[in-house]
Amino acid sequence: MSTLDQIPVRHEARAAEPQPRGRNPFANVFDELMNFARSRSMFMLHYCTGCGAIELPPAMTSRFDMERLGIQPMVTPRQADILLITGYVSIKTLKRVILTYEQMPSPKYVIGICSCTVNGGMYWQSYATAKVLRDYMPVDMYIAGCMPRPEAVITGLRQLMDDIKSGRADAWKKYYQQYDHYLGNQQKLFGDHWQTPTDIIAEAKHYQLITEQTLGKHTALLEQHQKPLEPLEMRLKHKDHVLP
Amino acid sequence: MSTALKVRLEQLLAQFEGARVTRKNARRIRVDVGSDALPGLLELLQGHASYVHLSAISCIDWIEAQQFELVYHLWSYETRTLVSAHTRIAREPGVYLSVYDLYRPAAFFERDIHEMFGVYFEGSPDMEKFILTEWDGPPPMRKDFDSEAFVNQTFSWEQYRPQWLKDLEEEGGGISIRPEDIRP
Repeated sequence: MSTLDQIPVRHEARAAEPQPRGRNPFANVFDELMNFARSRSMFMLHYCTGCGAIELPPAMTSRFDMERLGIQPMVTPRQADILLITGYVSIKTLKRVILTYEQMPSPKYVIGICSCTVNGGMYWQSYATAKVLRDYMPVDMYIAGCMPRPEAVITGLRQLMDDIKSGRADAWKKYYQQYDHYLGNQQKLFGDHWQTPTDIIAEAKHYQLITEQTLGKHTALLEQHQKPLEPLEMRLKHKDHVLP
Repeated sequence: MSTALKVRLEQLLAQFEGARVTRKNARRIRVDVGSDALPGLLELLQGHASYVHLSAISCIDWIEAQQFELVYHLWSYETRTLVSAHTRIAREPGVYLSVYDLYRPAAFFERDIHEMFGVYFEGSPDMEKFILTEWDGPPPMRKDFDSEAFVNQTFSWEQYRPQWLKDLEEEGGGISIRPEDIRP
């Protein structure tokens, strides 16, 4: 059994078509249960831009206590569910925000806090900040204000919990379904050579969310310029450093 | 000690040719000098009047006069006074001498001014991009860079016209001065 071909595979099991969701009477029951569980245990990525971040410590700590709703800060994007964009996003930061967003596992939710994420806010005239966050990634909810107080943040998060529970918060699907649109806006801002390490099209296939708007001229442009990712060079010691 | 230093500063500024001294208040002195005399003035202030700390270099774009104004903020820990040395250089070609040999922190300030205004400092150790590493447009703090036109060209806007705003506008309220009204 040295090659892959010799491994026995049960072909009849693989050949079976995946059951459409609607036919399984229990699918919706489990979905509801999962949505309920999801809405009660959200990990919020600890990534803050702009000035609205200053309202999050009081929202998280004992005064308003986000944790009673099951919302906790999380340090890595790969384990987080919610991405809070707390204020203006400079073009340089936006690149990092998109990298972060793409690394988060689905389902993922984005909340735009402060006026700056809606329409540039008081930085509408600035050459350095991106204006409409919704152009670059799907946003589930905006909490407007400059800046919104922790009460507003908590109210917004409660609203998001309700949306998740009822299955309305599915903006993350839009990123896969309309990837060409988002990628087009990103390319317009960052240049034609813009590329992220995450393969969104493969993920869209995985989630079965490919539509006719997933692929288009912008993804074709991406494929043209795309460089294959290379593993980072691993070095046990620095070249100038000599071990004793 | 500080009294002697104060006297020394007075003498030094009085003897320095072409320096126009304005006293803002007891602890702030403004000195206007020509661009050829400024490095000499800084050297004297540092070497003979205890102004060892360069807090910042700021730059102002006087586009109508076709000049850049450079302001060197010097602080003395002994006399606890701030001297701002102002000088003006021609906007084109916008090249000036670095004071890195006198003050090491000048490297960062000059690099920043080079990035934001496009002033080139000869003798500065590094004139590479500092903060705007992913920016390839013109230096954005120059007055001839129209930030608003750039924004309108680069970004789209959220079409946000809620019902309450429409109601307000019907009553004659709403946004009184729109950005396009004040644009020339």
